[in-house]
Order: sequence, then structure tokens, then C-alpha cells
Amino acid sequence: MTTTKSDALLPAQGIEAPRSGRIDPKYLRSGSSKSGSFEMAAWVFMRVSGAALVVLIFVHLTVNLLVGEGIHQIDFGFVAGKWANPVWQFWDLTMLWLAMLHGGNGMRTIINDYAEKDSTRMWLKSILYLSVIVIIVLGTMVIFTFEPCLLDGSGQLLESSPSFCQNV
Amino acid sequence: MSTPTKEAAEPASKIDMKESGGGGEVPSFDVTLQVRRYDPEFSDEARWDEWTVTMYGTDRVLDALHKVKWEIDGSLTFRRSCAHGVCGSDAMRINGRNRLACKVLLKDLDLSKPVLVEPIKGLPVEKDLIVDMEPFFQSYREIMPFMVNNSPAPTGERIQSPEERERFDDTTKCILCAACTSSCPVFWTDGQYFGPAAIVNAHRFIFDSRDDAGDMRLEVLNDKEGVWRCRTTFNCTDACPRGIEVTKAIQEVKRAVLSRSM
Amino acid sequence: MQVHKYDVVIVGAGGAGMRAAIESGQRAHTAVLTKLYPTRSHTGAAQGGMCAALANVEEDNWEWHTFDTVKGGDYLVDQDAAEVMAKEAIDAVLDLEKMGLPFNRTPEGKIDQRRFGGHTRDHGKAAVRRACYAADRTGHMILQTLYQNCVKHNVEFYNEYYVLDLLTVDEEVTREDGTTYMQKKTAGVVSYDLANGEIHVFQAKSVVFATGGLGKIFKTTSNAHTLTADGMALAYRAGIPLEDMEFVQFHPTGLAGLGILLSEAARGEGAILRNSEGERFMERYAPTIKDLAPRDIVARSMANEVREGRGAGPNKGYVLLDLTHLEPAHIDAKLPDITEFARTYLGVEPYTEPVPVFPTCHYAMGGVPTNVNAEVLQDNDTVVPGLYAAGEVACVSVHGSNRLGTNSLLDINVFGKRAGLAAAEYASTAEFVDIPENPTAFTENQLNAMRASTGGERTSTLRTELQETMDANMQVFRSEETIKEALAVIADLRLRYKNVQIQDKGKRFNLDLLEAVELGFLLDMAEVMTVAALHRKESRGGHYREDFPERDDENFMLHSMMYLDPESSTDGTNGIRADTKPVVFTRYEPMERKY
Repeated sequence: MTTTKSDALLPAQGIEAPRSGRIDPKYLRSGSSKSGSFEMAAWVFMRVSGAALVVLIFVHLTVNLLVGEGIHQIDFGFVAGKWANPVWQFWDLTMLWLAMLHGGNGMRTIINDYAEKDSTRMWLKSILYLSVIVIIVLGTMVIFTFEPCLLDGSGQLLESSPSFCQNV
Repeated sequence: MSTPTKEAAEPASKIDMKESGGGGEVPSFDVTLQVRRYDPEFSDEARWDEWTVTMYGTDRVLDALHKVKWEIDGSLTFRRSCAHGVCGSDAMRINGRNRLACKVLLKDLDLSKPVLVEPIKGLPVEKDLIVDMEPFFQSYREIMPFMVNNSPAPTGERIQSPEERERFDDTTKCILCAACTSSCPVFWTDGQYFGPAAIVNAHRFIFDSRDDAGDMRLEVLNDKEGVWRCRTTFNCTDACPRGIEVTKAIQEVKRAVLSRSM
Repeated sequence: MQVHKYDVVIVGAGGAGMRAAIESGQRAHTAVLTKLYPTRSHTGAAQGGMCAALANVEEDNWEWHTFDTVKGGDYLVDQDAAEVMAKEAIDAVLDLEKMGLPFNRTPEGKIDQRRFGGHTRDHGKAAVRRACYAADRTGHMILQTLYQNCVKHNVEFYNEYYVLDLLTVDEEVTREDGTTYMQKKTAGVVSYDLANGEIHVFQAKSVVFATGGLGKIFKTTSNAHTLTADGMALAYRAGIPLEDMEFVQFHPTGLAGLGILLSEAARGEGAILRNSEGERFMERYAPTIKDLAPRDIVARSMANEVREGRGAGPNKGYVLLDLTHLEPAHIDAKLPDITEFARTYLGVEPYTEPVPVFPTCHYAMGGVPTNVNAEVLQDNDTVVPGLYAAGEVACVSVHGSNRLGTNSLLDINVFGKRAGLAAAEYASTAEFVDIPENPTAFTENQLNAMRASTGGERTSTLRTELQETMDANMQVFRSEETIKEALAVIADLRLRYKNVQIQDKGKRFNLDLLEAVELGFLLDMAEVMTVAALHRKESRGGHYREDFPERDDENFMLHSMMYLDPESSTDGTNGIRADTKPVVFTRYEPMERKY
């Protein structure tokens, strides 16, 4: 296929001259260096939190799934038992915060990379930040306000309560 | 091998001349080129044009493009100059990868399918394979790509050890062809990203022992559109026609920014 | 039509243009017009090095360098100019180092130096290490460093602007003895913006031509597609003579069949040329410095081996460059690029296989005549005020009939700097010369005629025919018969050129149109070159006549000067007037040239 242009076809008028001294604004940087420090902090955080999460998650998985009776021991009581211990409370709290911030930041960079329109980017990021905040707040509240020994309407312990509730 | 006038000092050749020397008959073959065409003077729509041309063993994609331009369609437009990979004019996407058209031998491509040729991505297309290079050079200019030395100049040269010279050797090879920057997925959606080429050229000076403005360049690149935008996808390293380890250079600049801030 | 006003306009952004721009840009309102982005210029393809008698690694001095340059140019060098160049070479290298150029270093941290063809210790006693280098990409580093410094000094570039006409005015001047002559003055240039096809007029007090060479006259060339003799042709059409145009350098080691350059540095590092019998044939032609003889001698020797049936390859069409005795690590450190060229383009592994090589058109020794201040001359000694030329486009003449390796990188730096300084200096006191009426008429008529032409001739067909005839008849061996053959073909092509038809009718990036314009430059310069070659009935440097194999100092120790003159004819070619210009001698008497 060869394309030849007819002489009658005159050049269209009104096309802006290429390189008329202007650069398309989408290439121009606003140049705020403050956010640069934030980006550096975010970059460092991703690496530090990533390394920390490896330890946190593998210990978590080992304790929950391998030690003792392994996977069969997990029930409401097991979780309640762990959270009765402040060490595990702190462990899970750290894991929750780091995982959410690490994942959230990862999602933020993906949105930055792939969302082409400013408005899309803004919306996606709003939804992301909101959900990160909701999960972090809810999770934190659960860890600190967790009540293992629930009573039914008549004041009796629920049957599923862990055994140590009997002693209270 | 006998060389009657050979003197004792002549180094022995490790080869038998009659056996070697390359060459042989140059085979010819048909190549189908599919080129992305765009000329806003005549149409707002880009289109694909296809030609089949007969080429030879040592021919490169650039030779095929020339053959089309010179013998079939003179309006096919692309930049080129030196034609052996040192001027950086003819960076384009060949079968989806950023390459210099003068460095890709046709015989190395899968010729059972058409060879796809498109302009490099991420920069505004002006006509056919020509893109607007101004945003690219603007980023280059902003990283202060020149030596700054505040100490009084000696009468002779500034002293630099071979080891200090070696430190930034890789990044001195850059020819500013934009193959790296326009292969970067981050740059495709975010034209404000400085891009690999600008960082490579900053690297060339940051690690030059004679230069005093490294801190200022690191400050420039510690921007939200600076080094932290790099996702280490290695597209740039793959695209570089000069074999510069671009991604590694970017990582080294990241570390330099970090250690400066600490 | 847009009109711009600058003190200094520099045409071309290669090494010479940017070196001039760095000087001029700091002193005067300067614009650089370039048909390529500056970093695309062919200075970047230079590989081996830049000679200067720094004496960093062994005893050396600039006087020996001057001698080598004069002898290398077969005594057709203006010796005052060669002295200037060799003397200022040292500062030129140090300037570049201070601008940031990353030279290779000695263990003490000084600029390292290596051997190069024709550069000798103490007037030819032995090869000397004089070439300062950065691996085998010295030209690349120079081009990048100069561009970097242009960015530093905010030099104003007009990228992808083709200069298509030089505007001069003639004024009648009366000499002291009462006779009169026409004095040319520089008014500016006419330029074409590739991006949108608009014509711009640049009025300038000083114009510096730094447009490079004419390699594309030949088929086998190390030159870029864009080296189409633009500046020489524009000056010639404006009535300025061209000096020594018959002298073209053929670089011995181009990749066979492709012409891509393999630096002389390969031989400087120890590589050896061999024929099909494995013989180191340069021992027969230059017993003392063998493979490091000047380029014209090596190129001719290679062509002679092939002619006498000792060529290698299936058609016995080339000789072999043997690096196999060198350590791979040494090759990687000193010659990384050229070994990659051999691998990429010929599929040859230089560690273990010899590389097929054959001479390739490399450099024009001749060009626009200038004095040592880079001022263009309109005859043997009258300066054109405000017009300067530097680099390959110019003929100072420091290269005589054969340029020594590395002296081109030196030339662009020394005379580029001088041109920039002189142009700014002149602009600081001079007045603008009024632009002639209808300054764009010539250019617009030419372009419109080409756009409208229905003659049916293709630019590429004519160019290929030109290149093939020049390769066949005007290469390292010439004779009256071959030169006349070339002249006949050129005359025919010039007629057919009037019928060149282009296909691209648009305004944006119309390279189809510009290639046709460039072909016009090539044809003009090919004609001048062949006429000059026919006129010089002797063999000297790069110009070898089989019918006159000896150097003839009695009749031809003279520069040739070719003028465009519709009234005249030279050896049967109309429109060219041949004249001569004496060679400047200072300290070296012509001797037989032996190596």
C-alpha cells in the first residue's frame, strides 16, 4: 500500500507550529521541593516497613499456624487469648499499621503512575485514603477494646467464651 | 603463514588469514514494514502504512525506511544523521521496543511478520516518526548538565585519578536519544517526571570528582517528579543503545540523595 | 517572513560552531542556527583523540607537532597556521578539561596520551604519544562537553533551522593606487524552519560558518547523511572562492562495504593491517612507522593491495584489521565502541577474528578560505568583513593536502574559539549592513519551483548516481580519464537536477524537500572538486593522479582557488574560474615525504 497525496490537497490552516517556543503544560513541573522530602520519606518508609513486615508477618504466621496444635487451634478463644497479652496486642497493632500504610502507599504510587486524568487520580486517591483510615481506626479499636468474655442477655457467659473467662 | 619481511617485534596473529575474514555472499530477503503515520496538516487521524521491500544481510531498519522514502513514498518522515548509533537522531519503537533504527539489523528480527515501527512514546508526535524533543531537553537543562568547579583553575589540567574517572564512565556515554525516557511507563503518564536521561546526565556530574554542584543537582532531583518516581522497571536499561546501566545509575542517585539528607 | 537581528549568527552546532558560540555567546548577542539538534552533529562520531604536545607521558613539544602537520599535509600546509594550531593545541585541550571533558587519565591523574598516525618525535624519528583521548569516543565527549557549556552559558539555539542562503552586499572600494575592486560585506543569512516551513531572515553583524563537510558526495563514507556541503556551497554561490577542494581524505579503516569508521586509535593501540596472505603489507610502504603512516598513504596502500589481487573476502575486495593479538581487556578499555561496531554491523568478533576494512571518504581538507583569525577571504588576501568560517567547512589551511589524524578535533577547537572571539569582537564595533532587497526571493523561488516541479526525477536516483561515479572515479586513485568521466556524469546530473520532483507537498518537517536542496549543494561541490582535481596535474597527499604520480613542487606548490564565474571556463567546464594562492612557508623546506 502506497499513499500518495494529491497536489490538490492543500495544507490545512491553523495548526500550531511545532516548537513555537512553548512546551505543553503537561510537561512543566510546578517545582515544589517540599513534597520531594515527603517522596523520599515515603520511599524510605516502603523499604523499612517492608523489611519489618517480613518479620512481623512470618512470626505471626508461625505462631498461629505452626506452633502447638497448628491450624486447628485457631478459634475465637485463641485470638482472645493472644490479645490478653499486651505483647501480642502491640505486635498486631504494628502489623496492622505498617501493612495498611505500606499497602496504601503502594496503591498511591500505582494510582499516580496509571491514572491519566487529574480528576480520576484525585477520586481514586480519596477513596484509597478514606478506606485506609477506616480500616486503621476500626482495627486499632478492635485490638484495644476487645472484650473476650461476652455475656448474653441474662448475664451468663456465652458458650463460645474462652475458658479463662470462668475464672473472672 | 609466511610473511617474508616480518620483523621479530611483530606480534603473532592468532588467526589463519585464509580461513577467516568474515564476508561471504550477502543474502537478500523481503521485509514488510508497518509504519505509524501521522501528519496533522492532512489528517487528524494517525494511520498505519505498509510496504514490502527487498533488503540485504547487513541492512538495518533505517536502510529499509530510507528505501521506502527514497523509492516509494518521499513523504515518510523520520530523523536520522550518522547512521551508526552515535548521534541519537533515530530513536523509535521497533516491534514495541525502543531502539535506534540504525542499530537494529533486519536479519535479527522475525521477518515472517511485518516489522512495526512507531514514534517513541510519551512525547508529542509532530509528524510520522518525529516527536517534539523540547520537553526532553528541558528536563536535561534543569539538572545543570555542566561542570561547576568553584576552586581557582590550575594552569595545567585538574588532577583526577583513573579510579575517580572510572566512577562515572558509564553515564558519560549518553547520546540524548531519549530511548530511555520514552520507554519509561512512569513518563508515559506523567510527562513531568524528569526521566532516566536527565538523571543519567546528573549522575555523570554528581560522581565526577572535579564537580562542586552535586548537592544542587541532588536537591533538584529530590522532587516529587525526581528520582523517587522511578519504579525500577528496567525498561530504560533495556532501551539504552549505548548499553548504559540506566536503572543502576538512578539507584545510585537515589542513594546519594538519601545519604545527603541523613 | 520573519526577521531577527543578532550581533553574531553561527551556522552549525558541531564542535566548531559550539566552540565559537561559547566565546561569542558570553560577549555578544548570539544565535546558533543548526539543521540538527546540536548533539546530533558529526563531531560526536570522531573517535581517536585530539593531539596536543602536553608531554604528559613522554617528551614532546609543539614544534614537532607543527612539523608533523606540515609533513603530513605534504607541505601544502600554510605553516604559520599550523604553528598557531600546534601552539594553541595545548590550551585547547586544557580548556576542554576545565569545561569538564572526561579524558582518560594517567596513573598520576594527568590527561593520558596515545600514539596516532603521522605524529612523531623529533621530526619523524619514532611515533609519539600525543593524542589526548577519552576511550574511543573523544569526539562524543567533546560534542557533549561543548553542548553542556552552551547550556551553562544560555546560548540561544534555533534547532532544525536550515540556512539556505548567505546574504552579502558588494561595495566598490578604491585602493590607494586608484584601482577599484568589489568588496563583499556580510548582511545575514536566510533560514528555513524545518518544523513549519517558514522562512526566517537573520540580520547579523557577524556570521560564522561551521557547517562541516561534504562526505555524502561519495557513496562509501564515514560521514553522516546530513553532511552535504551546505556551507561550502552557500559561500561559493555568494561569490566566495573555495580552496584546495580536490583534497579529500579517505580514512583507511572503514568497515568494508559500510564505510562506518574504525578509529586509527585501533592501530595506535597496536592493531595491524594484513592482506589476504596475512602479510603486514604496510612494512613495504612505510618501513619506519608502518601501520601508523598518514592516512593517505595507508589508504592508497590498501587500495593497491586489493588492486593487485591480495584483497581478502569472497570478492578480494578488502583488507583485514587484526586486533586478535591484543588482550580483550585492553580492547574493552581503550576501544569499546569500534569493536561493538564490528560486532553489530558485520557480525565479526574482533577478539578472535580480523575485521574487514576498506578506505572510506572521511574529510575535506579544502573549503572556504580563511586566515588564522578565521576571517573568510574573498580572494587570496581580501577579508570579507563579518564573515567567519571554522572547522571542516573552512580551509585555513592547516591540513594541506592530507590531514593528520586528531588534527580535525584540534582544528574545530582552536579555530572555532578564534572565530567566536573574532566574530564577537567585530560585532562590538561594526554596524549592521542593510539586508538586500527581497532577501528571501532566491530561497523562496528555489523551494517553490521544487514543490511545483513535475519533472519526474528522483532526488535519491540522482544522488546515488553521483555517489557511485565519485566512488568509481574520484577515490584514492584518479587519472584524467576517470576525472573526465566523473565530470561528464556530473554535468548530466546537473541538467537532470532541474527536473527533480518531490512527493511531500506539506510544510511540516518536509525532509523530502530539504534532501532535494541538499542534492544541489552536493552537485555544485562535486563539480568544483572534480574540476580542481583535473587541474592539479600532480600527486600530493590525498590527491593521487596515476597519470602524474609524482609531486610537482615547481608547478603545483600552490593552493587551488575555485571561483564561481559565469564568464569563465576551466578545462572545459563552464562557470568555474581556477586560480591559485601561494603556500605560506616559515621554517620547513619541502622534502620528500617518507615514513
